[in-house]
Amino acid sequence: MSAHGSVVIGTGVNELVCAHYLARAGRRVLVLEQHTQPEGQAPGWVPPDIVRSLGLDQCGLQIERRDPWAAVPLAGGGRLELWHDMARSVEAIGRLSAADAAKWPAFCERMGRVVRLLEALYTAAPPAPINRERGELARLAALAWRARRLGRQTIEDFLRAAPMPVADLLEDWFENDALKAALGAAGIAHLCQGPRSGGTAFAFLHHHTGSALGVFRPPRSNIAHVLTALPGVELRRSAAVARIAVREGRVTGVVLANGEEIATALVVSGADPRRTLTQWVDGGWLDPELARAVRHIRSRGVVAQVILTLARPPDFTTLTVASSLDAIERAYDDAKYGRVSRSPCLEVRNIGADAEGRHRVEVDIQYVPYALADGAWDEARGAALGELVLKLLAPHIPHLRGALIDQRVISPRDLEAAYGYPKGQAHHAELALDQALWMRPVAGLADYRTPVTGLYLCGPGTHPGAGIAGASGVNAARRILEDSR
Amino acid sequence: MPAAYDAIVIGGGHNGLVCASYLARAGRRVLVLERRERVGGAALSEQVFPGFTFSVYSYVVSLLRPEIIRDLELARHGLHILPLESTLTPLPNGDYLAQWSDHDQNRRELARHSLRDAEAYDEFGVLMHEMSRAVKPMLGMTPPDPGSLAPRDLIGLARLGAHFRSLGARKFNALSKLLTMSAADYLDEWFETEALKGTKSASGIIGTLAGPRSPGTAYVLLHHYMGEIDGVFRAWGFARGGNGSVSAAIASAARAFGADIRTSAPVERVLIEGGRAVGAVLHGGEEVRARLVVSGADPRRTFLNLLGAEHLPGEFVEAIRRFRFRGASGKVNLALDALPEFSCLPGAGPHLRGAISVSPSVDYLERAYDEAKYGEFSRRPYMDIVIPSMIDPAMAPPGKHVMSIFAQYAPYHLNGGWTDARREAFGDAVIDTLAEYAPNLKSVILHRQVITPADIEHAIGLTEGNIFQGELSLQQMFFLRPVPAWAKYRTPVSGLYQCGSGTHPGGGVMGAPGRLAALTILRDIA
Repeated sequence: MSAHGSVVIGTGVNELVCAHYLARAGRRVLVLEQHTQPEGQAPGWVPPDIVRSLGLDQCGLQIERRDPWAAVPLAGGGRLELWHDMARSVEAIGRLSAADAAKWPAFCERMGRVVRLLEALYTAAPPAPINRERGELARLAALAWRARRLGRQTIEDFLRAAPMPVADLLEDWFENDALKAALGAAGIAHLCQGPRSGGTAFAFLHHHTGSALGVFRPPRSNIAHVLTALPGVELRRSAAVARIAVREGRVTGVVLANGEEIATALVVSGADPRRTLTQWVDGGWLDPELARAVRHIRSRGVVAQVILTLARPPDFTTLTVASSLDAIERAYDDAKYGRVSRSPCLEVRNIGADAEGRHRVEVDIQYVPYALADGAWDEARGAALGELVLKLLAPHIPHLRGALIDQRVISPRDLEAAYGYPKGQAHHAELALDQALWMRPVAGLADYRTPVTGLYLCGPGTHPGAGIAGASGVNAARRILEDSR
Repeated sequence: MPAAYDAIVIGGGHNGLVCASYLARAGRRVLVLERRERVGGAALSEQVFPGFTFSVYSYVVSLLRPEIIRDLELARHGLHILPLESTLTPLPNGDYLAQWSDHDQNRRELARHSLRDAEAYDEFGVLMHEMSRAVKPMLGMTPPDPGSLAPRDLIGLARLGAHFRSLGARKFNALSKLLTMSAADYLDEWFETEALKGTKSASGIIGTLAGPRSPGTAYVLLHHYMGEIDGVFRAWGFARGGNGSVSAAIASAARAFGADIRTSAPVERVLIEGGRAVGAVLHGGEEVRARLVVSGADPRRTFLNLLGAEHLPGEFVEAIRRFRFRGASGKVNLALDALPEFSCLPGAGPHLRGAISVSPSVDYLERAYDEAKYGEFSRRPYMDIVIPSMIDPAMAPPGKHVMSIFAQYAPYHLNGGWTDARREAFGDAVIDTLAEYAPNLKSVILHRQVITPADIEHAIGLTEGNIFQGELSLQQMFFLRPVPAWAKYRTPVSGLYQCGSGTHPGGGVMGAPGRLAALTILRDIA
């Protein structure tokens, strides 16, 4: 048995950020790798505070901002392209609808201001509205004051938009189907909801945090690689956890799958809360009501991936295949009853060429439900999905089949096995209003603490959750350091 | 010319009448102007077919605020509520799920379907009661404005904050979930019986163009636990003589307090002088003056038809245009020669004295919604059915019956629009679906009346046929109803107030908007 200061489970962005914050506070930290991490760049805003305090910009952090940030094929040929440059977007939209083009700057401005409010909420632990500590009340008052300074309209916009369907929000502003589809797709990403479901406007705003004005796709960065290379913590590869040892309500160690026990009084888990608290820890440490809530965390995976290797590059950097909000909604209708969408929404990214000149194209396919109504996922389904993607992309990539070198289909089940996504859900807990803020992942666990002393949560299943790279990790580290003072 | 009245109330629906009653009770001179020949609005009893009386539109009572019944002494004015004792959900496999008001009977019935659900049911009921208690104070208060710095609003917000904090963590968290979840997800956490989840989640979608899987629909589950008759929680009931009796009792109270009520007096527009509302102009040109005007019409009708955008700030008009109606439900009223015979439970048992709900599963409701989402009516709709003549025999000739079928979804924005043929096709879909459960139904129908959202709009003036004067979704509730900063019954035009269900706390024959509007007015003119 070996003894260690602190053990962080997982090598995701949040876990590594948490580990480095603890290390900089003088802790000896061991990070245990559970799964390989997704290849390529990690999506999500990296809050400037994290970049600064870990000095990530000196270590080669690159934040990629695709331009255009979205491109939607139009029914009559051509594409609607939306750019970082406001004037360029206005011009593009204007070719489809003068009314929408006229409203675009005001829309971006209004959403941008609402998102300032979210950014304030996301770079700290979630507000605890009924916590009776004096400090918490003061924090709430400070938040309220900050909200006020953003102006009356911003508060109203936020309160009104959060519970809305993203379709209603967009229909308040725009008439063009392609534009609404481009924006609507951001409101349902990884959600088992359609654009006409309540709360999808919240998800739309969530994914807008940290983006430039008028950009409604999260940036991607190499933060995962930078953090992995950053010295200061010890990283142990392929160290699958079997359970977390607890004695008298306190963490005493981590037991690995190979039987080795690492003694420690502090464990931070980036795995999903259900796995951490019901599989790794004996269920008896949770009170029954909390245990029930943890079992009920919704994490329905609905996204599959197809990776294409092409001999020639496509003529776009990004492509959203969705013709209208109704088309996305119909894709959701299939998933609602446990079927793969017959006409799914595709988010396509052109990653670029490798040394041998082969081009990698990543496709996110929504909706592909993890739980199918008519049997299990098998090779035939994988092949059918791959074929469907080729069929849908063929009109947008000339001579696609001729250029195809390789195609890899990754189902929600594969995502679960490879990256530990519960039920294939990349966000660990769906980003719905009832699983946000002081209810993320569930009320009673939102402050990163668990009922087991010394055991903390820091993954995307905690506030503020997926899409904000490292924020959960920082918040958890701060909580841990406060608790040990 | 001095004003003859202190206040004119436009519209003699139940909220307009409640508002008028409270104003008159405080000694104000009040005139109610009703467009139709009878008061009541959507709370209306009518002999649609000779001898057969129907609650034509709204058809049950439960949310009518007890303080209104008390303050206006509605019992003395003839309001008598008869309780509905059960809900029967017939199932496609020939079985049924019944929910009885008798606790033991209910438990035995549930246990027949699932022991686990029978266990969970009591705990669920306790939680819903606690949640109802937590929400109730909000129904009785004028919503404070979170965007304002006025002392009254800050105090209101502080009080609201204190109220929530006083609930304690467990209840506060449960309420937060209830406000933000979908009815289907919420019920999935508790129950496994599909029919139970279907029937309960149905209350979350009533009157709204949303499916039970859409977040925000769980909150309305509470309405089934919030009803209060004679101080008893959770009871749904009929007004003896139909829902028109509710309006008649309130109208009688209003008159007793000294209010004048004019029927067949359609208001064409609100009279504005010097930027102030000073009266109403009737069709035909007659002007009636008053110190102030209260509109019981819905927000769009009030501001865009009766007033006109030119009298309002541009942003306010924008917000009113954004306010969503999207009527989603219709009604089929049947005059029956004999009782329907449900194959799952034959005979004229006590189940026919309660509600009958065609909601066999959550998926059934969701599929009904799928059609409406794309502009078609549900071919197999959700239905909430009552047979009022079983409880109040005076509603139909001896031996005969009236049946009220609330059916959803029938979207106002139907592809191609509503026509006579589409209306009848919708009626057929309702009857055909119900006949699958009650095979003798078609042979006992003497007359039928089919009402679409377009008919509701045309007959009683509810925009897009929305039964709540605007969707009761989270983004249109409390301080957002109908428009942020104008959720306190006042309007940007001085002297003009709103008192309809389009204001907080919304529809459902509560009467609360009428009362709260009157209290606001009385404070303003004190």
